[in-house]
Amino acid sequence: MMLEHVLVVSAYLFSIGIYGLITSRNMVRALMCLELILNAVNINFVTFSDFFDSRQLKGNIFSIFVIAIAAAEAAIGPAIVSSIYRNRKSTRINQSNLLNK
Amino acid sequence: MGLPGPIHDFLLVFLGPGLILGGIGVVLLTNTIYSAFSLGLVLVCISLFYILSNSHLVAAAQLLIYVGAINVLIIFAVMFMNGSEYYKDLNLWTVGDGVTLLICTILFCLLMATISDTSWYGIIWTTRSNQIIEQDLISNSQQIGIHLSTDFFLPFELISIILLAALIGAIAVARQ
Repeated sequence: MMLEHVLVVSAYLFSIGIYGLITSRNMVRALMCLELILNAVNINFVTFSDFFDSRQLKGNIFSIFVIAIAAAEAAIGPAIVSSIYRNRKSTRINQSNLLNK
Repeated sequence: MGLPGPIHDFLLVFLGPGLILGGIGVVLLTNTIYSAFSLGLVLVCISLFYILSNSHLVAAAQLLIYVGAINVLIIFAVMFMNGSEYYKDLNLWTVGDGVTLLICTILFCLLMATISDTSWYGIIWTTRSNQIIEQDLISNSQQIGIHLSTDFFLPFELISIILLAALIGAIAVARQ
């Protein structure tokens, strides 16, 4: 398993996550694309920890921290989306202007 | 330390197309529930990849937290909130989508050029030569546990406080 191939896969996941995060019109799909971006970061952490730092393993510890932050984000995100859905009956991003008035 | 050869090669052959097609499916599938299941496929493939790179604790954490908690929560949110409104999104291809696709393609090509230009194996040999001296006395999971309870003790506790505050905040926002 080459290091470059893993990095290319990680860069692919990162760019497609950013594309989906910008262009999606559904809030839940935007949250899914955010998970893709965090997973690309995690792949890089674990790969570099395995290749360069296989005794200390500090990249693994950082990836565990990133997973914990992603869990907190995935708890907050659907709660906010469901609160918006309860008020507006829609989860479209381009229609949510609750802070506008 | 690693898996035997045929299983390793089979997993590698399975992982690459799984990641690529799953990543496309998350963004491009029109029904949101299908893209949520596609995200589950991507997360399982990433967990198998962590097993291949000798990080078993992170693989278990990925499988438990991402697939078991986050993906189930996202599927629940999709089922809870989506009516029949995704049919209206079918023929919306605006200029902004094209510009974003161009920008993301340029970003991906730049990252690939940077990856192929860097000489990784020089870095690997300089760092590997320092590590050969130390003996492999304890396993990776024990090493992570020792680090979490000595060097990274304060971030570990802060992470737990952040998780507690996030869960309380999520409940308070969702039940009003």
